Amino acid sequence: MQARRHTNNFQRARLRAGLLFVLPAAVLCLVFVVVPLVEVFVLSFYEWNGISQDRLFVGFNNFAELPSTEGFWDMAKATLLFAVGTTVLVILISFVIALALDNRGSGRLNRGLMRSLWFVPCILSGSVVGIVWRIMYNYNNGVINFIIRSLGMAPVNWLETYGLTNFAVILAAAWSLIGLCVVVFLAGLQSIPTELYEAASIDGAGRFNLRRHVTLPMMAPSITINVLTTSIASFKMYELPWLVSGGLPGYSTRLLTQRIYFFAFQSGRFGIGSALSVLLIILITLISLLQLVVLRRREDVY
Amino acid sequence: MKRRLQLSRLGGELMLLLATLVMLIPIYYFVIGAFKPRLDIVKFPLVITPEMFTTGNFTYAIKKMKIVSSLTNTGLITLTSLAILVVGASLAGFAIARVQHRFFKYYYATVIALMVIPFIGALIPIVVLIRRLNMIGSLWACVLIQAAWNMPFSVFLYTGFMRALPSELEEAAYIDGCSMFRVYFNIFLPLLTPVTATCLIRCGIGIWNDYLVSASLLNSVRQPTLMVAVYSFFGQYVSEYGYAFAGIIMASLPVVVMFLFLQKYFIKGITAGAVKG
Repeated sequence: MQARRHTNNFQRARLRAGLLFVLPAAVLCLVFVVVPLVEVFVLSFYEWNGISQDRLFVGFNNFAELPSTEGFWDMAKATLLFAVGTTVLVILISFVIALALDNRGSGRLNRGLMRSLWFVPCILSGSVVGIVWRIMYNYNNGVINFIIRSLGMAPVNWLETYGLTNFAVILAAAWSLIGLCVVVFLAGLQSIPTELYEAASIDGAGRFNLRRHVTLPMMAPSITINVLTTSIASFKMYELPWLVSGGLPGYSTRLLTQRIYFFAFQSGRFGIGSALSVLLIILITLISLLQLVVLRRREDVY
Repeated sequence: MKRRLQLSRLGGELMLLLATLVMLIPIYYFVIGAFKPRLDIVKFPLVITPEMFTTGNFTYAIKKMKIVSSLTNTGLITLTSLAILVVGASLAGFAIARVQHRFFKYYYATVIALMVIPFIGALIPIVVLIRRLNMIGSLWACVLIQAAWNMPFSVFLYTGFMRALPSELEEAAYIDGCSMFRVYFNIFLPLLTPVTATCLIRCGIGIWNDYLVSASLLNSVRQPTLMVAVYSFFGQYVSEYGYAFAGIIMASLPVVVMFLFLQKYFIKGITAGAVKG
């Protein structure tokens, strides 16, 4: 009896101390993350210019009005194209690079150095990457058209051609994301047991079949993770694509995040901006849920 | 047969080398460009000769970007929010990992859920909130926002790390009558170096490179951070390439130099959460 009370006291003291321990982090997150998140949902039901005292409750009107705001469908198309395009490009390139880098230590080039080199763009900021690529794409003075000209071809108007500009923005974004996926893929490749390859070779599998029937299935979880993290990263991007293209030509490369920023600071339509933010939050939450499910399942794989 | 295999290996190596060189063009281009006058950047973008060499771009960019004040601002914001993060997250992670109570389970689930929410999604109410607190233009606004928005991921890191530590570690200490704080301070804290390194690097890069938070909450002319300065002086309508390149180099240099020395930690830090272990 005495002993039980003793443990109870001990547990209660621990609980009290534990609550004290989480307090700083909890208060900070509550005030600056949770409250604003709740508020963005609340604001999406109001018409408000962000300054005046009274705001008008309009129900779902903001959401209903969204599709008719200027360039909404262009924005939706651009955002989807950007996210999908960036993800596909990043996954393809980083997978091939990771395969080349893995190669079971047979190469002559220094693997560690190569991996680090591919990683460098990932540590540069979006502002930096955006400005560099904007300059590189310049029609008259950029290095890309310089190379194209020296190869004897006609220069390309990267930033003022519908469709092509979408690709230009995607390429710049992909450049800054490839390194991350290379590292994740490499970790995946290195965790494939050599015995699997040996067994398959003994069964007569050639190089292509080894890749197709051993590497690819074993890499499925890494591929999923990379697809999800890259698509989240591209849905979130703001300054990099904006600096490269400025949303031009027309509205063809203007993204959802850039629209939110516009509604917040240029047009002062907080209600409709919040409605757009809610869409973004829901979108990213859905992708992350998918990621969580995959990560959980991956625990069993390894 | 063997010869052919070696030949194809060699081909693969060459392709890899070529791909790496192409990938490096942007970096090479702006690094050499920063030391050349504008005309040479345009006419000979891929070479640099001693005759071209100039440091004038840097002199200009230092003035234009108010480098002293923008570096101070970025440095202060980064260091202060990192300090808050490490203390807050290691304490919270310790409690979540070591106290068995359903409150901490819910708390942890909330943390995980918050981890993925993008800052821009809550940008509008945050601007409203900071205005209401009368903190627009205060570095503290940036510090608090950065600490708060990086907190979920940091708590996740610390919790995972401490859950993996054996519970025998502190049992003897509790029996000897140590308080939980003593256990945290004397037994856990010294063991946390690896996870702290991961957390510092991951969050540090994000905060250093941030544009959105400081652009929304500070006055970009009077108190720019490095990335805001780079953005507002050389963004959108840049025509003076050399100045922009010099500015870019100065803004990225601290992170890149640290990367050179701590590559392993960087790669681990940035991919933490996506790769196990």
